[in-house]
Amino acid sequence: MNFDPLTFLGQTLALLLLAPLLSGCIKNWKAKLQNRRGPRPWQVYFDIAKFLRKDMVISEHASWIFSLAPYVVFLTALLAGLMVPMISAPAPLRLFGGVLAVIGLLALGRFFLALSGLDPASAFGGMGSSREMTISAIAEPAMMLAIFTVAITAGSTDLSQIAQSTQSATWKLLNPAHVLAFAAMFVVLLAETGRIPVDNPATHLELTMIHEAMLLEYSGRYLAFMEWGAAIKQLVLMTLLVNVFFPVGLAGPQASAAALGISLVAYLVKLLALSAVVVIVETTNAKMRLFRVPDLLSTAFVLAALAMLSTFLFG
Amino acid sequence: MNPPVPPEIGSHVIPLMAALMLVVQMLLIAQRMLLTSIRLFAIQSLLLAGIAAVVAYYYNASHVYVVAVLTFIGKVVFLPWLLNRLVHRIQIHQETDPLLNAPSSMLVCGALTLLGYSVTRPFTSLEKLGSNTLAIALALLLTGFFLMINRRKALTQVLALLTVENGVMLAAVALTTYGMPLVVELGIFFDVLVAVMVLGILVYRIRENFASMDTGKLDQLKG
Repeated sequence: MNFDPLTFLGQTLALLLLAPLLSGCIKNWKAKLQNRRGPRPWQVYFDIAKFLRKDMVISEHASWIFSLAPYVVFLTALLAGLMVPMISAPAPLRLFGGVLAVIGLLALGRFFLALSGLDPASAFGGMGSSREMTISAIAEPAMMLAIFTVAITAGSTDLSQIAQSTQSATWKLLNPAHVLAFAAMFVVLLAETGRIPVDNPATHLELTMIHEAMLLEYSGRYLAFMEWGAAIKQLVLMTLLVNVFFPVGLAGPQASAAALGISLVAYLVKLLALSAVVVIVETTNAKMRLFRVPDLLSTAFVLAALAMLSTFLFG
Repeated sequence: MNPPVPPEIGSHVIPLMAALMLVVQMLLIAQRMLLTSIRLFAIQSLLLAGIAAVVAYYYNASHVYVVAVLTFIGKVVFLPWLLNRLVHRIQIHQETDPLLNAPSSMLVCGALTLLGYSVTRPFTSLEKLGSNTLAIALALLLTGFFLMINRRKALTQVLALLTVENGVMLAAVALTTYGMPLVVELGIFFDVLVAVMVLGILVYRIRENFASMDTGKLDQLKG
């Protein structure tokens, strides 16, 4: 229960370093599936390093919000990540908050991201912000319902405790409510990380872009923090999915070094498997028309609601 | 004989597959491409066949194996193939706008599932195969009817009929009887098979005569 500076430091470093690698891996695999050679998985590190060195061009209409937003986006993603158990079950900041804090922090980051799109008064940014808000208005309740379903089964909104309690009962994995919740969470993951049926992460030049439209005015150091923050947010959401629904091999409190090692390997394998599924979904699907996206997300919402329902009726 | 397996695993796998059937049904409601809808129906039927096989294996009800095999041959292989060929022949690949748009029909179907759950609640103690299989069967039935009412194309209405039939089969398999008598099951099965083949021909004729398979146009057939 005590605050452990070592795990705190370890998880911070893991979040910072693993996130760009994961984005790079997904980009690389996607290219491979499309018969392209693709960027190397560690290319994203070089991109961020380059952005950090470059000068910034800031619109003369931009206010202080524009300069504050990259730090808020980056830090909220990082803090949310510290509340999710990654390798060992008590997450470093578990005393600070559970599921609600994670969702709240991510929502705060999204709020500032949308503000920063509106702030420099560019037409594209405003469009991106309004789209992001439209999508998150449906995606967020679906995510909350899906996580609450698991929280009810575990009897706690503390993510570390959820992970531990789902770990002890192996067959809980096959609980129908969890299947419904997982399906809903997966759709939400695609929407929140701007993946293909909802948004195309590989484009800067489309009228349909969402996330990129908000970042269009950013350059240099701010852009680096924005991109890095987005990568961390993606890692956090994937960790949430992987460790809450499949907490196989997650090390408990006061675990030995060997148990931590096994836990790390299991975590990486699960993460890469989930990324592979995301890559396959992205490659085999076409991007949806923006007005069709609520159809997909409402499916996720209804699935999450049904998951919640079936835990109450047949707990 | 196979080694005795704890039936606990069976009673976990069956609700799981039933829940997946419900997920597929929800996707079917949101789906507009006809070929994808047919593929989703095939997946749903495959899950049904899987449930029947698991029931037959764990509860030593050997006649349920027949149901599993028939479901596999008929609904996973034959009917999807037939409907696929129909889609290619009539050259219509997409559903037009349904009466209710996708988000509101999802909400309606969520409410129908809730209805299914609440109606079957008193019966849960009768079931031995997991708690909510009967509820899901009823939900498939209700949402299937809704799908039939909501869509305009004759082909999707045929698919909706088939999902209703899947719901009935699931209820039959999931109740304590481990399936209906074999004669009844064979009867239902061939009934559906023949019905779909006739409906397929009907859909083709509708398309030939009206250059559309929108059933809404059929009420203008006068004089």
